[in-house]
Amino acid sequence: MAATKKLMSVRRDWRERDVRVVLAALMIAVATVATIALFASQLQRTLVTSASSFLAADRQLEAENGRPIPQTWLQEASDQGLATGRMVEFSTMVFGADNFQLVSVKAVSNEYPLRGDIEIQRDPSGARELVNQGPRPGEVWINPRLLRLLDLKIGESLEVGNLNLTVSGLLIREPDGGFQLSALAPRVMMHQDDVSATGVIQEGSRVEYVYLFAGDEASLESYYQWLRPRLEPGHEWKGVRDGETLSRSLERAEQFLLLGGSLAVMLAAVAVAVASRQYALSQRDAVALLKTLGLNGAGISGLYLGRLALWGVTGIVGGLLVAIPLYWLLIRMLSEVLERPVDFQLDPAALVPALLTALVSLFAFAYPPVRRLRNVPAMRVLRSQPGETGREALPDIIIAIVAVFGLVWMYAGELALVVSLLGGLVLLLGALGLAGWLLVATLRKVRGGGNAWRLALAGLYRHRRASLSQIAVFAMTLMLAATLILVRTSLLADWQAQLPGDAPNHFLINIAPEAVDDVDAFWRKRGQPLDKLYPMVRGRLTELNGQPVKETVSNGESINALNRELNLTWISTLPEDNEIVEGSWFDKNQKNGVSVEAELAGKLGLSLGDKLTFTIGSRRVTEAVTSIRTVQWDSMKPNFYMAFPPEGGLTDMPATWITSFYLPRDQKNALNEFSRRFPTVSVLEIDQVIERIQAIVRQVTQAIEAILALILAAALVVLAAVVSATLHDRQREGALLRTLGGRQSLLVRSTMLEFALLGGFAGLLGVVAAEAAVWALQFRMFDGAFQWHWHVVLSIPLVSAVVLALFGRWQLRPVLSVSPMLLLRRLE
Amino acid sequence: MNQMTNVNPDSQSPMLRVKNLTHRVSVETDTLTILQGVSLEINRGESVAIVGRSGSGKTTLLGLLAGLDTPSEGTVELDGAVISKLSEDERARLRAHRVGFVFQSFQLLPALTALENVMLPLELSGMAAPEKRARELLERVGLGERLIHTPRQLSGGEQQRVAIARAFASDPLILFADEPTGNLDNRTGQAVSDLLMALNREQGATLVMVTHDEYLAARCNRQFHIEAGVLTEPDAAQKVAH
Repeated sequence: MAATKKLMSVRRDWRERDVRVVLAALMIAVATVATIALFASQLQRTLVTSASSFLAADRQLEAENGRPIPQTWLQEASDQGLATGRMVEFSTMVFGADNFQLVSVKAVSNEYPLRGDIEIQRDPSGARELVNQGPRPGEVWINPRLLRLLDLKIGESLEVGNLNLTVSGLLIREPDGGFQLSALAPRVMMHQDDVSATGVIQEGSRVEYVYLFAGDEASLESYYQWLRPRLEPGHEWKGVRDGETLSRSLERAEQFLLLGGSLAVMLAAVAVAVASRQYALSQRDAVALLKTLGLNGAGISGLYLGRLALWGVTGIVGGLLVAIPLYWLLIRMLSEVLERPVDFQLDPAALVPALLTALVSLFAFAYPPVRRLRNVPAMRVLRSQPGETGREALPDIIIAIVAVFGLVWMYAGELALVVSLLGGLVLLLGALGLAGWLLVATLRKVRGGGNAWRLALAGLYRHRRASLSQIAVFAMTLMLAATLILVRTSLLADWQAQLPGDAPNHFLINIAPEAVDDVDAFWRKRGQPLDKLYPMVRGRLTELNGQPVKETVSNGESINALNRELNLTWISTLPEDNEIVEGSWFDKNQKNGVSVEAELAGKLGLSLGDKLTFTIGSRRVTEAVTSIRTVQWDSMKPNFYMAFPPEGGLTDMPATWITSFYLPRDQKNALNEFSRRFPTVSVLEIDQVIERIQAIVRQVTQAIEAILALILAAALVVLAAVVSATLHDRQREGALLRTLGGRQSLLVRSTMLEFALLGGFAGLLGVVAAEAAVWALQFRMFDGAFQWHWHVVLSIPLVSAVVLALFGRWQLRPVLSVSPMLLLRRLE
Repeated sequence: MNQMTNVNPDSQSPMLRVKNLTHRVSVETDTLTILQGVSLEINRGESVAIVGRSGSGKTTLLGLLAGLDTPSEGTVELDGAVISKLSEDERARLRAHRVGFVFQSFQLLPALTALENVMLPLELSGMAAPEKRARELLERVGLGERLIHTPRQLSGGEQQRVAIARAFASDPLILFADEPTGNLDNRTGQAVSDLLMALNREQGATLVMVTHDEYLAARCNRQFHIEAGVLTEPDAAQKVAH
């Protein structure tokens, strides 16, 4: 091979340690970003599909006013390229065998569901299967509990109004099995074409028409823009992302992925920058020689640019070769969690950030030090010349900061994230530099300990410039990794706290006041005590400060809470997961006032002292707002927009009681007995919903762990890059020490000690910085409460000290394994 | 192919003409004068040794003569071209085509084999069949069997022989040698200097050498002494120009 070509060969480069580090960093950057982007895009599709299946569509339009929407609205949706479907929900009595039961009927069109699947059983002992269409005309699927309540068998007929339908399956799970209050009674699903023949729906019947829409986001949005001015009170447009139980978890998972991706990009950039600077320094002699042999500046630049391009290609190809199998594994994992196949789809758009990351890392971080090689004086072949001063590297640092900024922004698309992370980093680096400098300054004075100690401290002091930059880079790396670990820890803890294993999974609604004690006793006897019981009064908010509320509030028509009856309650103590943000909770003997949920209060523009008038049946209650509180809507417990004090405005209103409790799957039979004994109490089963949320949380958690592993790999590469920066000097010193009679054990101990000190100190700084960053991020992105994570604060410096000590020991291998003379000659 | 013919008007002119060369360097707040008023002429085909103690300025002088650095004052004219008037790239081209180097620390690229190290300047000067010429030269220096060995696998003397082969590879008009035997033991040093002188004679190149080695210096046509930046030619004071 020609010599100049060989100078540019990646295979030859690979033999150089710094090049290996640059290539490894590039590969990890590409692999991490590509894996995250591919997986995030797949996760996004999967989650949206999963979450969409909570609606059985991408959007739903509910008409609670009992009238179907005009046909032209559906026509317009079809014209805009949306798939549509429809269903009607109503309650009625059904008869089967010799029994009858109040049920909640859902009559669906052929298109139902547009998203997700229906889970059914063809017979009670048969396997469950997923189907993507409802029952055919003439058939009906019923809730298994109803089968037992009515004493029916599959194939027998069920009388719905005037029509006899054949029970052809058991309805296990509906994709949109949410927990709306309308779905209280056991479910019956039939075909929409059969509805008119039942004769159940009459003028004035309580019926809800629901329309399903699915399609791409742009068409959905454009359709909504068309639809919005036409919507009437009682119409509600529902998307996956608003007000859904999962939305907060989804957003946080997405944020986490973005954060992880950004940190990976930053870590890789640091590794590339450190290693390529080191590489450029090591190339100065070769460049001087090439110049002496007649290569001009352009030739030098061309040589190294060609080399960078080759690295880039190698990094990208290598990174993708890592990313694709990894992505495939993640997809396998995802499909296991979801118990259904997930497409292995290589979205080309998701690969763009990875390619850009490689190019930017290469040209903003690797190129600047390499570019300056053309300025190496040829005279260097005769005599060593002064090295670079920090001033020459200043433009590089500015380019690097701008590039990191751009990359993270492109990647995360969140200016707030970019600014808080980078601002934090810059501030922290300043603090780290100061702390590191102080440490080194004190090192000079520290004496004592055994020989190994003295050597280790002297080593740190001797390499103080390198030690300081190592501490800074390490601390930064550890800070980034620790940030991710901390965010992950608090995120998972938060999710687990949100949905603990024994989260209430059944609601009991419509408990008559005189039955409360009996209901309570029924479940207590079976070892499943009820959560707190709340009285519930249905009423509309009609006036604000004496004026009709819809007129007083801007956009009043579009606020759902004003278009329907609200659940009002009275309670003496503030529910645990509620938090007062304004005003104060009711005093012990307080009999007036109302506490309003914060989000609604915001929409209505309420402040303390505003007078709210509620219409409850034919009666009116007016109370002043005395507090505003936040509510955890996803707590799976009864939650209320409006809370009154006991013996306050609601006391003599007709109330029923509501509660939630946890019922394990194997005790579900008790529900039959309960329904027979308390026929007027409605049971709302949300265990399926909770299981699905938990499955999704598990899946997101696993994705997060996988990404964390990639980030930690990136951190290790940074470690390698930084340590290799002083490798040559250290090996030479080691060889000299051995030549001068130093024992191997002394060398090993002092080196390990030196690295342990370096690692421990950097770890401490990094983790404290991470806690600060997490504190900021918690507020900015994850709106959680901050707390110190002592186990992390203590373990990271320890782990970092141990890992670095071992790394130092490993670096020392060549010094110990060959004769000092041979080594010194090699290091010449 | 020689692309610099336009700056070589007269092949009868001296190979190297130096006038009033002064070189200063800034050290923190101070300025040190390394070379002071150096003038000399070296004819084509001559061999010249520059001797002096460590720190006397001889390596600096060599760097300036070879166009690796530019002087603070004065001019260096190499084969008719005034070096200080050339740009960095023009100087590189001049070196590629007319100048060869041998260094004290050999300066072989560790990643390349002996053969590739010798091929490197040939490729840089755009020669058509660099490998053939490189093989011939390595055989000439007695390393025909060590072509694919990397510098690490060669002894010091062998490395310097590779460096000599490389220095002569592109048929330089002038060869600069910086302590070519400085890192070698006496016997190896003698063998290397024999080789250097022999090749120089065969090629008819001009040789400018900085050395401590009196035996080697004595084999050159002329000897210069340098002390505290001032150059003298004790044996032929009449030849020293002003």
